[in-house]
Amino acid sequence: MGRRRQRVDPAAGARAGALPEAIAALSRSLPSGPSPEIFRRAKFDRPEATSALWQLLFRVLSPLPAGNALASLALEVQARLVKSALCSQGYPRLALAQLPEDGSQGSRELLLALSWLLARGPVPEQMLAQARVPLGDEMTVCQCEALASPGPPAPHMEAEGPVDVRHVQWLMGKLRFRWRQLVSSQQEQCALLSKIHLYTRGCHSDQSLSHLSVTEAEMLRDPEGGQQLLRTLERENQRLEAVLAWRRSELVFWRWMDTVLGTCAPEVPAAASQPTFLPWVPERGGGELDLAVRELQALEEELQEAVERRRVAWEAKAGGCGRGPEWSAARRASREAVEKELGALQQCWERDGGPAQPHGPHRLVRREDGAAGDRDLRAAVVIRTLRSQEACLEAVLRRLQGQCRQELARLVGALPGLIWIPPPGR
Amino acid sequence: MSIVTVQLGQCGNQIGFEVFDALLSDSHSSQGLCSMRENEAYQASCKERFFSEEENGVPIARAVLVDMEPKVINQTLSKAAQSGQWKYGQHACFCQKQGSGNNWAYGYSVHGPRHEESIMNIIRKEVEKCDSFSGFFIIMSMAGGTGSGLGAFVTQNLEDQYSNSLKMNQIIWPYGTGEVIVQNYNSILTLSHLYRSSDALLLHENDAIHKICAKLMNIKQISFSDINQVLAHQLGSVFQPTYSAESSFHYRRNPLGDLMEHLVPHPEFKMLSVRNIPHMSENSLAYTTFTWAGLLKHLRQMLISNAKMEEGIDRHVRPPLSGLPPLSKMSLNKDLHFNTSIANLVILRGKDVQSADVGKKFRAYIHQYTKFGIEEEDFLDSFTSLEQVVASYCNL
Repeated sequence: MGRRRQRVDPAAGARAGALPEAIAALSRSLPSGPSPEIFRRAKFDRPEATSALWQLLFRVLSPLPAGNALASLALEVQARLVKSALCSQGYPRLALAQLPEDGSQGSRELLLALSWLLARGPVPEQMLAQARVPLGDEMTVCQCEALASPGPPAPHMEAEGPVDVRHVQWLMGKLRFRWRQLVSSQQEQCALLSKIHLYTRGCHSDQSLSHLSVTEAEMLRDPEGGQQLLRTLERENQRLEAVLAWRRSELVFWRWMDTVLGTCAPEVPAAASQPTFLPWVPERGGGELDLAVRELQALEEELQEAVERRRVAWEAKAGGCGRGPEWSAARRASREAVEKELGALQQCWERDGGPAQPHGPHRLVRREDGAAGDRDLRAAVVIRTLRSQEACLEAVLRRLQGQCRQELARLVGALPGLIWIPPPGR
Repeated sequence: MSIVTVQLGQCGNQIGFEVFDALLSDSHSSQGLCSMRENEAYQASCKERFFSEEENGVPIARAVLVDMEPKVINQTLSKAAQSGQWKYGQHACFCQKQGSGNNWAYGYSVHGPRHEESIMNIIRKEVEKCDSFSGFFIIMSMAGGTGSGLGAFVTQNLEDQYSNSLKMNQIIWPYGTGEVIVQNYNSILTLSHLYRSSDALLLHENDAIHKICAKLMNIKQISFSDINQVLAHQLGSVFQPTYSAESSFHYRRNPLGDLMEHLVPHPEFKMLSVRNIPHMSENSLAYTTFTWAGLLKHLRQMLISNAKMEEGIDRHVRPPLSGLPPLSKMSLNKDLHFNTSIANLVILRGKDVQSADVGKKFRAYIHQYTKFGIEEEDFLDSFTSLEQVVASYCNL
């Protein structure tokens, strides 16, 4: 586990009370951060600190901005999601995966996990960016998310019973309808935005913008809402200041984390398989109990062998679907193929399209005169770039569809006496 | 969110008129069943979906009327204007002087490409008028030439140009003993083409509605306008605003999207039909007592035993175990269920197999289609795709 070194006023570390201040700054900069007392208890692995840390880790790791729906998830669910997210990011300590999910123990492990995340990337800044209050009407144009490599592998799902392909088609159809409704809603939103920008020309105090955004128009219309917005902005300011304070005093925190790591037992390399839990029998009891214990052990070994045999047979039959070394090798191969495709696609985009789009959201501004500053993007340019990207994607799709069709035709040709009627479609 | 209606052919235009009429008169009905605030919210929601406002306050239907003959369109336009409550847009119609002669191929291969640009222009203008556009509702018949052939062409074009918006086609199944001889051919071609380009096909059978009119509503001389009114009533009840989960003052915004997401996500099962109860004329409504639970139970039995009306339901049929649960949407007093037994199609198949085999003389009609570019292979293709559809339904 690495940690960041930063040039910081060395005298600051020596001040008493520097540690609680640093931790307080950290917790103020994170959403619903726990108090410094929780951190201290976690160092000594006290159970009362556990649930607060699970919840904090969940907030940090969940991909969506916080909403009420997420906060109402049960602790076990949150804990499970945290475990799988950390595992997919490559968290090295296995003790975390074995923690119970009811929040009864393991606060020190959770503290270590939190600091690992903090060391890897600018977590407080990222969380702030997620929860930002946009004042203008914004939209992102870069396609980074589209080209990101495939996300964490989904946990293995055992299908209960035979899966009806029609049910899957049904769900796909629903998804497609939702998608189309999304597109029409977006069109509606764009039409309305355009109207608002048009009607509020000349209202803005900033000459370069010249018209109001939706938030600003709403603020003028509804003063109470304006007060609300002001309070939200003030809270955001406080968090920004907390982040700055945290960055100034980080070093103290890392020194303290070193001590926490020191109090942990050295990590035992993971056993290849789950340890078997023998039934616990009290020591005293006499010869009969010993006999019973031995019999139970023998029975358990027999059962294990039987299970192993069955599993091998099943895997041979099912072709190792979902498990087994061949399956994971196949999955790895297909993932590499996908990454290669994505890389090729990105190159194709860079070649055909215009200049690379800057990242992050952009404010939408409507201008009559067509004058644009240096850092401004013109809509026509963006549209052209997106269209060329779309053309690349369509070409790839057609190529893949052609490959699928050829493969199907080959498979069908191998079976004599089978007439294959392709589904209607163009 | 707004729905743009495309009315095609004689049948489509007449039904479309009745639908808009029913929608508007329902939202303005004075029966006083709910509070004023609720009423206003309901009215506003209904209006926004189907009508746009003009300066003098008369709502204009969000519709595009297309026909190859001017007669029906003129009738429809004048009827709407006469009512004084609403009207069609001035430039929202497209007609020619010719007609299609009940020839699917003529509608699809000749009229379609020739007038593609003008028709799509009108549609685009309607779509641009919408603040938030939800999808298309296309009304056509299967048996005629304009509705079916041109309708299939237009739906295909809409799929190309507006691939992200939802399309529901309302198709009218002709009478079993219909007037048009080649209606089976027209129907087959229409169905197979629509299955590819549309998202959902809502079927109404003339036979069934005729029976409803005769038996339940006690109408002696059943005219097309009676049938259309019953149809419009059913459609209106599907499309009127429904409550959203939050509160009774918020209506769900996206009717087409909700319907489609719950009923037709699977690409192979796109057929829908409507069952609604109770069926009676307006006069007897005041004398009945219904409970919601009783109505629901009745509907379920109707669905299971594949009955279209309240009478003659076989109470002993039990539903087969299917893996796809029917999802119902609560609307004002009607329900729409996923139709797991698409026996209609099987009936057609039976009829067609007979007529195609038995009639060498029916082959005589094919030359009318090949004249306009629909070859025998197209027929075979259509047969195959429909066979597949039937097979998938049978496998449910």
